[in-house]
Amino acid sequence: MNVVEIAGLTYTYPGASQPTLKDISLEIEQGDFLAVVGNNGCGKSTLCKVLNGLIPHFITGDLTGEVRVAGVNTLESDVGALAQKVGYVYQDFENQIVRPTVLDDASYSCLNYAFPDYQERGRRALAQCGLSGREEEYVWQLSGGQTHLLALAGAVSLQPEILILDEPIAQLDPLHADRIYEVLRELNEKQGKTIIVIEHHTEYIADYCRHVMLMKDGGAAWKLPTRQALQRVEELEECNIFPPQVTQAACRLKNAGFLPTDSPLPTTVAEGRRIFPVPGCLPRQNPPSARPPEPPAVSFQKVSLAYRSVKGEPRTIFDGLDLEIRQGERVALIGSNGAGKSTLMKLMVGLLKPQSGKVSLYGESISDKKAEDFSRQISLVYQNPEEMFIKDSIRGDIAYAMQVRGVPQWEERTDELLERFRLKALEGRDGRLMSGGQMRRASLAIGVALEPGVLLLDEPTANLDIATRREILSVLEDMKDIIQTAVIATHDMQLVCQWAQRIVVLCGGRVVADGTRDEIFSRPDLAQLVGIRPPEIFTMAQALCPGALCYTVDEFTNWFKEAQTHAKADE
Amino acid sequence: MNAAQKQSATQSQKLMIFVLSMSLYGLATLFTELIPKFQLGLVELSVEYFLFIPLTLAILFDPLSAALGAATGELVFSEIMLGQFGGLGELEKFLTVTIGVYIAGRMVRDPSNRAMVGLAAITGTAAQLAMGTLVDIAKVQFAVEDFEAVAGLPESVFATEGFAFLNDLLFSGILFCLLPTLYLVPRLYGKIEPLLGMAPRTAASAVAGLSPKALVVCALGFVCAVLAELAATAGMSLIDWEAEWAESGTALALGMVTAAAVAVAALLVAKKNSERNVTR
Amino acid sequence: MQKRMNKLSENLLDKFSMEFLRSQVLKNAYGNDDTVIAALDPRILIVWYLFFGLVPWFVDALPFLLGCFLLVMVTTLLARVAGLVLFLFGVGVFSQTGYLFLATLLFGGDASAIAPLLVLTLKVATISLASVTVFSGLDPDRLSNGLMWFGCPERLSFSISYAYRMLPMLMEEFQNVLLSYRLRGNPPAHETFMGKVRYLIYQIRIIMESFYPLMLNTAKRSRTTVEALELRGYRYAAANKSVKKIKLAALKVSYNDLLFLAVSFLWVAVSILFCALL
Repeated sequence: MNVVEIAGLTYTYPGASQPTLKDISLEIEQGDFLAVVGNNGCGKSTLCKVLNGLIPHFITGDLTGEVRVAGVNTLESDVGALAQKVGYVYQDFENQIVRPTVLDDASYSCLNYAFPDYQERGRRALAQCGLSGREEEYVWQLSGGQTHLLALAGAVSLQPEILILDEPIAQLDPLHADRIYEVLRELNEKQGKTIIVIEHHTEYIADYCRHVMLMKDGGAAWKLPTRQALQRVEELEECNIFPPQVTQAACRLKNAGFLPTDSPLPTTVAEGRRIFPVPGCLPRQNPPSARPPEPPAVSFQKVSLAYRSVKGEPRTIFDGLDLEIRQGERVALIGSNGAGKSTLMKLMVGLLKPQSGKVSLYGESISDKKAEDFSRQISLVYQNPEEMFIKDSIRGDIAYAMQVRGVPQWEERTDELLERFRLKALEGRDGRLMSGGQMRRASLAIGVALEPGVLLLDEPTANLDIATRREILSVLEDMKDIIQTAVIATHDMQLVCQWAQRIVVLCGGRVVADGTRDEIFSRPDLAQLVGIRPPEIFTMAQALCPGALCYTVDEFTNWFKEAQTHAKADE
Repeated sequence: MNAAQKQSATQSQKLMIFVLSMSLYGLATLFTELIPKFQLGLVELSVEYFLFIPLTLAILFDPLSAALGAATGELVFSEIMLGQFGGLGELEKFLTVTIGVYIAGRMVRDPSNRAMVGLAAITGTAAQLAMGTLVDIAKVQFAVEDFEAVAGLPESVFATEGFAFLNDLLFSGILFCLLPTLYLVPRLYGKIEPLLGMAPRTAASAVAGLSPKALVVCALGFVCAVLAELAATAGMSLIDWEAEWAESGTALALGMVTAAAVAVAALLVAKKNSERNVTR
Repeated sequence: MQKRMNKLSENLLDKFSMEFLRSQVLKNAYGNDDTVIAALDPRILIVWYLFFGLVPWFVDALPFLLGCFLLVMVTTLLARVAGLVLFLFGVGVFSQTGYLFLATLLFGGDASAIAPLLVLTLKVATISLASVTVFSGLDPDRLSNGLMWFGCPERLSFSISYAYRMLPMLMEEFQNVLLSYRLRGNPPAHETFMGKVRYLIYQIRIIMESFYPLMLNTAKRSRTTVEALELRGYRYAAANKSVKKIKLAALKVSYNDLLFLAVSFLWVAVSILFCALL
């Protein structure tokens, strides 16, 4: 039975000249777990808003064609009736939560639609989403992942047949991301809900979804079972969707003649183990990088910090933290949500003051300097770029710090930076009205405007699709010559592996590990402790040969080819 | 697209503007509660005007929603949240802010016309301040019997209140309402509307113009504000009532005490009983 | 004058920690939900407030006022109100009558001039503390339910609970925008007096200007919020009478509420007795 039937759907936003959705015909079976993929701006979110009736009942515009959801024609129904058939979780889900306590928020919809047993329904939804026992908590006590689960519970509480999630794991660390998908799987398998996710992370699609639909320029290109869909590597890459690393690697090896042409491409590590022939074990040695110790750029000495909490004891973030970041280093700070990464960065720029201990910058304690004074020595790029835009144009924002300081030739420098970050064409636009990747580039340009000795980046790739992430990575590579020392806080292990020289693992306000990527990722106890997970390709290589250390698809294919040739030569 | 759909769309937009205006102005007034007021010589600079926020929103969007949102925001964030709720007297502020912002919003047809925006901003502020001044004068008039009879009193009240009005308008009004509004409106115009999924206001689409009906409603609102403020301060002069009541005698007071004591005792017993029942 | 200026310019951005403010407001709203006052029925408390918020205005008898003041002081303590709110209360009372008191002393006023002022101060303090007890002691949701029962517009009660939900987020956002100015801006030197004035003006300008990004960022948020409210049936609830009934069904008057009223009444009656005896 089909739970969604769309025929000839075309939709144009009010005031737009081009339709956003073009002649879409689609059927989704009851109980499906569908991933919608596609380029930025191809109409994925718009399509989802058509399904829950926000379009055209709330957001007007020009809609033709027929949309039937759970047997109801959305044009003839209204948002209220449809909300009980389709649940929706936004990408910026925290704005979706309107009540102060967890149970209140989960049961809010049920109360509004006048169910006398609204609290019971709320509780049930919380249980389904794995939030039992937190009913009485306030929403700001929840972590990012839990907040997302709460938004989901709010949607689930009306017991809709369909759940739609817009990029559910974009801001989450791998542990929380797994949690969300486990909950979704349970809802799908045990409760028979149809689930539709808009998702870039093809690893998760391969693990959890049944079908994949590709959208291209407002049209539905195709809908296929996941395994088949992910085999279409070239077509996906054309749309800036990157299949799982295992699939990419297999595709390249196949093209290079290292895999039989008729073999299907693997989409998960488990499949890869069956499909890749076990190469002769040739542990790849990354030469240990022996560098003369540079003088420290930032150092923490016995730093302790606690936040005031609404109730009870203050929450301790750091207790006697010692850490040194040396000049010229590229450091990645990793750890689960709430491990203290952002706090550490705020300490470095003097926005937070430690209760005891000392933070020094180039040998001088920062408590002696004023925040304004050392902006030439250190600079912080926020996680949310929108908060860095304080002027009404990108140009104004980039120029601001130089202009007010009277940096000589600040106008030329601004032009240079605009060129370098490919923002010249957008210079008059307000940062907030640009795409995610453009916003990031602009925030990086703002961050480096004063040529600080140390650049701090908080989650520079959060909320970005894979293609944009690659772009940001190349920008980071490109900035090496202007920025001497850089620190990145991130969950993005591909970024960590490709960019960082040194990895610092934070857990519960302590440094639990500190070393090169080889040292960090070859320690399975760390993965257990803090839930970090190496890139999929690393796991794949390890599965084939326990000593192998491959961090990128390129490294993997090279290693594989080498090992294969080696094995053949031995025969 | 039928009429009903259009209606609901504008409803949602109004709610959006209400929410926006409420949160921003509420946040701002929360700060003004905390920033001390200070004086420069004779001139009092009261930094209590973040009125430019609702003014800007009223000029760019639906004036009524922005005005109501701002007044609600002030009430909720700075009065109720900080426990500074002053009872009936708050109604005066609520209504004058709403009316002032609403008038300013209705005056502007085309937000890209700077002169119009400036005029509207200062008119809205002036309207709000003038209403406050009138309420103050009325308060004195109401409180002092034979207001006209006391020599020099009307003149001095008019003079001080008039001076305060001009001072507020020329300093706070220009510094904190006119200039920021002139700074913000052109910058936000055309940028903030797409974020809310709306089309920018143009001369053609505007609902602008102050209709006689709107003015009558504003005037009625103002009368309510005066009445509310007078009612709130009435207590000061109603001592007669109090005097009578205080003389009501020891017997009555004793009776009240006994009644209250009996009530407390009875309730305590009843509560114990009910608790025992529950534990059983 | 200079000293005052000093203090002011320091207060505005430097010493004035948004983090502190945020925690105080949150503490005030939700940190005291396990107190005696918070457990009372909101309707009873509102009625209680109507008495203590209005009647003291009309009465001049000192024992009665003193009695009321002591009572609301006890309830304020019971409500465990946040320090910031009490501080604001102090400032509020002072700004209304305290400065008059000082002025009277300064211009050689005698005790007879002070007595009426004392009465006025007592009135203002009693009324403020009564409102602090009710509006800070109650958790905003219960307060808005109580107001709704008395027929306040739905929009107001929604605004109250939504404001509490939004405030921490808004403050964080505002804080971040201000930090951007602080990290990238270049404030004037403020060692001299003129420098201090310039610094103050700079700070005020920054606060004003920071509303430009704040407005746009909040606009982005409120769009999602309003769409989500639509999906979650906010408008249906406003039109549907039975929703109100279901919501308010949770309100129950218990013995504790009645006891609270009765004790207050007893206390007031005793103070009236004193009035009559004296």
